[in-house]
Amino acid sequence: MGQYLPVFALGVLAVVFCALSLAASRLLAPRRATRAKNLPYECGIVPGRSAPERFPVRFFLVAMLFIVFDVEIVFLYPWAVAHGSLGLFGLVAILIFSFAVFESFVYLIGKGALEWGPRGDEQPGGAQRRATSAVVRLGPERGEPGMIAEAAENLSGAPSSAATQESSTSAGRP
Amino acid sequence: MSVFALDPAYIGGFGLSEALILIIKVVGAFGLLLVAVMLMIWFERKLVGDMQNRIGPARAGPWGILQTLADGVKLFFKEDLRPAKSDRLVYRLAPYMSLVPAFLVFSVVPVGGNFTSGDGTVTWFGNSTFLQVADPHVGILLVLALSSAAVYGIMLAGWSSGSKYSLLGSVRASAQMISYEAALGLSLAAVLLQAGSLSTHEIVAAQGGWNWNLWVTGLVPALVFVIAATAELNRPPFDLVEAEQELVGGFHTEYSSIRFALFFLAEFMNVITMSAIIVTLFLGGPDGPVLTERASWIWGVVWFFVKLVALLFMFVWFRATLPRLRYDQLMDVGWKFLIPLSLGWLLLLGALRVGRDRGWNTAAVVVVCVAAGAAAGVLLRLAVRSGRRESGELADAEADAGEAVNVGEPEKGS
Repeated sequence: MGQYLPVFALGVLAVVFCALSLAASRLLAPRRATRAKNLPYECGIVPGRSAPERFPVRFFLVAMLFIVFDVEIVFLYPWAVAHGSLGLFGLVAILIFSFAVFESFVYLIGKGALEWGPRGDEQPGGAQRRATSAVVRLGPERGEPGMIAEAAENLSGAPSSAATQESSTSAGRP
Repeated sequence: MSVFALDPAYIGGFGLSEALILIIKVVGAFGLLLVAVMLMIWFERKLVGDMQNRIGPARAGPWGILQTLADGVKLFFKEDLRPAKSDRLVYRLAPYMSLVPAFLVFSVVPVGGNFTSGDGTVTWFGNSTFLQVADPHVGILLVLALSSAAVYGIMLAGWSSGSKYSLLGSVRASAQMISYEAALGLSLAAVLLQAGSLSTHEIVAAQGGWNWNLWVTGLVPALVFVIAATAELNRPPFDLVEAEQELVGGFHTEYSSIRFALFFLAEFMNVITMSAIIVTLFLGGPDGPVLTERASWIWGVVWFFVKLVALLFMFVWFRATLPRLRYDQLMDVGWKFLIPLSLGWLLLLGALRVGRDRGWNTAAVVVVCVAAGAAAGVLLRLAVRSGRRESGELADAEADAGEAVNVGEPEKGS
């Protein structure tokens, strides 16, 4: 246990540091609490609802899946450290074990247990959405994508006087 | 050298010189961490300032180097609020649970010593000892255990505040941290395979003379580890935990004054210790060219800190460059890419090593492994597709059920 004594000592030092900072803050900081100050933060308005007591079940699901992988890690580490003396037997055993875990992992992914995102048929940032929301609304020409292409052709084919003017002014700026 | 490296100073009896060594190491590590955090916060602000074409802190001390100290002193004089709906005991306990593990992780990191031509020991007061605070048999397990314990601090802070932003931030944080903990642990197993020990001293000693795990384990575990560590630290681009635009401040929204400062301290201390762990595991720790024969351990300290600063620079660079991920992208990267990849790579390395011991044809082993990996990848890809479809159908069913319920209920306020 001697090897853990320094870790323990450092832990004690850390706790003392925390306690001293909190004590110093108690001595130095003003205490003028009002009811409004003690309300939960809500960007300046009076909170309409209290914090939810329940949250989506997916978070629990992640925690449970983590246990599966944590158990796998618990078995992998001893093998990783002692694989030299375990030899082929150890490798085969760990392959069988990993296959079992991987197979169940594939099954639960296939069941959609780790799906967080938007549904498959409405991917954000997909081609449709990009064409209708970003380009058309921000561009100078509001209308069909075809119109934009047309306008671009016009610009490149016969550079307008405005474009040449701007390039000449920017060149002459310095 | 023994199979299980242990700091030789603490093996024999415990006398005055051992006690002196212990005090010097513990106080040294404590002071080093606090000063390093102070400099790290300044370094990050200055560097992000430079990358955004600003000056950054410039008033307190030369080049603003004392800015963090000034901020800390200011926070002592700020009012310490405790929200009315908070859980009194847990709310007070959470900063401790966050900061103490952050301190402890550093105790197993070897910060110096000559590993190129020596065994990494130095002699203090007639005792030979390692340049690390402690070297338990299970150093790496200690690191993993403490980084898991840090989740409790964040989870309890958010839960006990009684605010919706805090709760959402902490639930996100726990899910994110435990997801990437699996990837972190699996990529780390490749290092253990290489070193054959859980002791950090042994891991560093096995990398002596440029046999760094970064290339010995084939780059993939190191990359997975760095990505998982970034997520574990809640650093950008994985900082959904404290996404200011949606969650105000995440789990520490309700914390003010010095309690907030303790969380901030813990966060930056974790960045430093995690960088130190990456240096230890993949970059050879203090290994590097030894330029003088006298006091050769000094060069270990120099190379260790050079590598550490390089990694800290990388983390700041990430922050200045990469935009934040969406939550589903975060979960997809962690579960569907990093975990299978690191597991497959570990099995490949294991097969190669066993094959080498038994005299198999290396090329054949690689071909078989790559084929098996490709098959697993295709299987995973199919599963992801089927999962998307299934969850879509489920959402449809839920939406239908929800509509049915809403129709049955009388509308409010009419």
